[in-house]
Amino acid sequence: MSLGMRLVIFILGTSLFLTILELVRKKNFREELSLVWLLIGFGMILASIADLVIDPLAFSLGIGYPPALVFLIIFFFLVLVVLYFSVVVSDLKGRNKELSQKIALMEYRLNTLRKKD
Amino acid sequence: MKSCLIIIPAYNEEEHIAGVLDDVKKSNPAADILVVNDGSSDKTSELSRQKGVMVLDIPFNIGYGGAVQTGFRFATEEGYDFVITLDGDAQHDPASVQNLIEAMEREDADVIIGSRFLGAPYSMGTARKIGVFIFSRIARLYTGITFTDPTSGFQLLNRTVFSYLSSGDNYPLDYPDVNIIMVLHKRKFKVREAPVRMVEKRQGKSMHSGLRPLVYVARMFLAILMVLLRKED
Repeated sequence: MSLGMRLVIFILGTSLFLTILELVRKKNFREELSLVWLLIGFGMILASIADLVIDPLAFSLGIGYPPALVFLIIFFFLVLVVLYFSVVVSDLKGRNKELSQKIALMEYRLNTLRKKD
Repeated sequence: MKSCLIIIPAYNEEEHIAGVLDDVKKSNPAADILVVNDGSSDKTSELSRQKGVMVLDIPFNIGYGGAVQTGFRFATEEGYDFVITLDGDAQHDPASVQNLIEAMEREDADVIIGSRFLGAPYSMGTARKIGVFIFSRIARLYTGITFTDPTSGFQLLNRTVFSYLSSGDNYPLDYPDVNIIMVLHKRKFKVREAPVRMVEKRQGKSMHSGLRPLVYVARMFLAILMVLLRKED
């Protein structure tokens, strides 16, 4: 990989990492959810020198075209990220249900009390 | 029978709800009636209030099971002894409630499920027939009891059962069918069937149209698998 290419990947990774840090600092992104994206940003920074590891690893695994291994790793991590956020959405759906049920019950009681007064 | 609450989950049922409530009041004068308006965008809530019944308004649509569970929560907090669940789309004949009550007293059961197949003849599509057949077989295999209509939402439940189902994730948001029969059997509750009269839904969106039956069957199999895998339910 050329030095220029390494530099571009490094800058992109660092920008992503810093953007996420800034979002968390401004409280626009929850810390616990941002961790996955910080890891991805960190991974992108490392990607600028990844060929030093990826190339020998790909050849040792019998992969003739090393970028295929990169795509495989990226695909695997993205699946993990999607799974993580699906779990978060599932949890939120459960909480949403609880809240909406409580609102319905409390609203009923509030209206009953109002009528009594 | 002690204090009884009839729970009617309703989502955009302005065409039917007034008629359903009239029929329910006429055939069950002693029971309290609760309409759980599941985030309807039409006049379901207003029409129900005009009929003088209790109405819970869920702020947005959370699904049939979620609406029924809200009713269970209400019944638990208000100290009811029994609840009857009855759909707001005029499918269930409220006059059949008496059959459920008699069956509960006769069988000393915790839950009575109203079966459309034990009473007058009932016509339905082939796909649904196959679905009901498969789930009946699964219920029989697991419980050893024949359930002719495991997907029926017309049910009578005693306090022990509905207060259990009212908490947390004990009741599914969307499809409380054969999986709930299995869960209740697992927890040693006595579940039986009694004949009821139902009419096939003619208007409105059915959960049995388009690709929904396939999704329904897949999710029901997953729910059944989870019941089998979970140690505690």
